[in-house]
Amino acid sequence: MKEKAEKPVKATPIQIATAVFWAFFGVRKKSDHAADVESLTLGQVVIGGVIGAALFVGSLLLLVNFMTS
Amino acid sequence: MAAIHHPGHEHEHHGPPSGIMRWLTTTNHKDIGTLYLWFSFIMFLTGGVMALTIRSELFQPGLQIVEPEFFNQLTTLHGLIMVFGGIMPAFVGFANWQIPMMIGAPDMAFARMNNWSFWLLPPAALLLITSFLVPGGAAAAGWTLYPPLSTQMGMGMDMTIFAVHILGASSIMGSINIVTTILNMRAPGMTMMKMPLFVWTWLITAYLLLAVMPVLAGAVTMLLTDRQFGTNFFNAAGGGDPVMFQHIFWFFGHPEVYIMILPAFGIVSQVIPTFARKPLFGYSSMVYATASIAILSFIVWAHHMFTVGMPVTAQLFFMYATMLIAVPTAVKVFNWTATMWRGSMTFEAPMLFAIGFIFLFTIGGFSGIVLAVVPVDIVLQDTYYVVAHFHYVLVSGSLFAIFAGTYYWLPKWTGNMYDETLAKTHFWLSMIFFNVTFFVQHFLGLAGMPRRVPDYALQFADFNMISSIGAFGFGFSQLLFLYVILKCIRGGAKATDQVWDSADTLEWTLPSPPPYHSFETPPQVSFDEYHVKNVQNVHSK
Repeated sequence: MKEKAEKPVKATPIQIATAVFWAFFGVRKKSDHAADVESLTLGQVVIGGVIGAALFVGSLLLLVNFMTS
Repeated sequence: MAAIHHPGHEHEHHGPPSGIMRWLTTTNHKDIGTLYLWFSFIMFLTGGVMALTIRSELFQPGLQIVEPEFFNQLTTLHGLIMVFGGIMPAFVGFANWQIPMMIGAPDMAFARMNNWSFWLLPPAALLLITSFLVPGGAAAAGWTLYPPLSTQMGMGMDMTIFAVHILGASSIMGSINIVTTILNMRAPGMTMMKMPLFVWTWLITAYLLLAVMPVLAGAVTMLLTDRQFGTNFFNAAGGGDPVMFQHIFWFFGHPEVYIMILPAFGIVSQVIPTFARKPLFGYSSMVYATASIAILSFIVWAHHMFTVGMPVTAQLFFMYATMLIAVPTAVKVFNWTATMWRGSMTFEAPMLFAIGFIFLFTIGGFSGIVLAVVPVDIVLQDTYYVVAHFHYVLVSGSLFAIFAGTYYWLPKWTGNMYDETLAKTHFWLSMIFFNVTFFVQHFLGLAGMPRRVPDYALQFADFNMISSIGAFGFGFSQLLFLYVILKCIRGGAKATDQVWDSADTLEWTLPSPPPYHSFETPPQVSFDEYHVKNVQNVHSK
C-alpha cells in the first residue's frame, strides 16, 4: 500500500500482534489505527493475520478438547 | 457523448456503437454495470416465479398444482437462480457502476475481460432454465447438489454442473478485475483507508470469491466425473465418500454466504451516513470487522452438517467459531446505529431500505446464532426455521441492500429523480409482505415442518396459507419496483449532480448522468479529518 511504503518505521512483533488481535475483534481506536498505518507493512499484516488465524483455531481446539476431556 | 474535450485528443468519433452491438461489444464499466443489473433483475423475476409456484403448491396441504418431482426441481432452481443469477450479479453490477466512479478511475482494469465476464452469464442462465425441458427435468437435488441424489439424476444435472462452471469462471474474472482496479487505479490521494466502505467490502468479497469459486468448480467437476467417467469420489459403493462432497461444498458455501452479504454491508455503509448527515461511525472498525468476518467465514463450514455425524470436538469447534462471527457483525450493527445516533435523519427510500436491512438482518443473524447451537440445530436441521433464517439474511439482508443501493444511485445513473412516493410504497409493501411470508416460517420450523416438501401435515396449514399470501404480495410488490425504475429512466425531475446533500464520495462530483467516460484524468482527492472529500475535479463538468 502506497501510504505505508514511504517511510516504514519498524513495527515490533507485539505491535503486529496487537493490531491483528483488534482486527479479529473488529474494533480499533483511531489513534492506534493511525499508528498502525504508519508502522505496519502489508506483508507484516498478512503474516500476522495467518499466524493469528492459526493461533485462533489452535486455541479453539484446545478449548473443545478441554471441554470434552 | 459527454466526454470532456481535451485539446489534441478528439473523442467525438468514438462514441458507443448503437443498437445491440453497443451492448454485445461494450467495454464500458457503466454499460456492463447496467447489463449486470438488468440480467440480475430478470433472473430475480424468474426465480421469483418459481418461488410463487412453490408457495402456490404449499398454500394448502395436499398435492394440487405441480408434481412432487417438478416441485423439487423448482426448489433447486429457485435457489441456484437467486444465488448465482440474482444476488451475485446484482452486486457485480453495483461494483461495475460504482467502484471506478468512487475511486476516481476511468474504467475497470481489464475492460474486455469485463465484457466476457458478463456475457458468460446469459448462456449459463439459459442452461439452467432450459434444463427443465430435457428428459428427467432440471436438477432436483437442492441447490447444494448433494450426492447421491446428484449422481443419479438425468442430463438436467449435467447442464446445471456446466452452468455452475461457467458462472464460476465469470465470478473469478470479475473478481480479478475488481481487485486489480481497486489496488492499482485509485486517484491520487485516495489511499486504502480513505476508500469508501463499499469499495472496501467489494475488495474483500473479491478475495473471498477468488478463494472459493475454484473449490466449487472442483466439487462439481468431481460430481461430473462420478456421473460420466466412472470415478467414485462420492460413491460409497466404489470406496468414495458422499460426506466429502458436503465438506467441499460448504467450504465454498459458507464464504459464499458472506460474498452475498459483504457488498450489502458496503451499500448500507454508504447510505446511512448520507441520510443521517454524519460521517460513518468507526470507519476503520468497519474495515477491520469486514476483514475479520471474511477470515472467520473459512473456519465455520461444518455448521451446515452437524446432523451428518462428526466427532463432538468438531461439533464444538464449529459451534464456537460460528458464534464468534456474531462479534464483528455486532460491531457493524453498532456502528450503523451509532452513525444514526443524533443524526439529522431523513427517510427517503434508500434510507428506509437501509434501516429495514439493519432491523431484519439482525433478526436473521440472531436466528443464525440459534442454529449454531449444536443440539438446537440437530432439532431444526432441514426445517422451515432454516428457510426463514436464510431468507431473513438474503432477502431482507442482501436484497433490501440492493433496493437501497438502486434508489440511492438511480438518480446518478439516469440523471432523473425516481418517484419518491412510489418508492416508499415499494418499501412498505416489501417490508410488510416479507415479514408475512417469512416470519411465520420460524413457527413452522419450530413445529417441525421439513423444508423441500410439496405436501405437509394438517397442523401446518394456517401458517403456510399466511406465508403464501405474503409471498404473492411480496412478488407483486416487485413489479412496482420495476415500474419505478422504468419511470425514472424515461424521465422525471432532473437530478442534481450532488443528488443527496451530504453524500461525500467521488461519484457525486460527476454530472447526473455521468459522462460515458468519466475520470479520464484522475481527480485530485484530499480529505479533512472527518473524511469529507475536497476534490479538484477538473473535467467533470
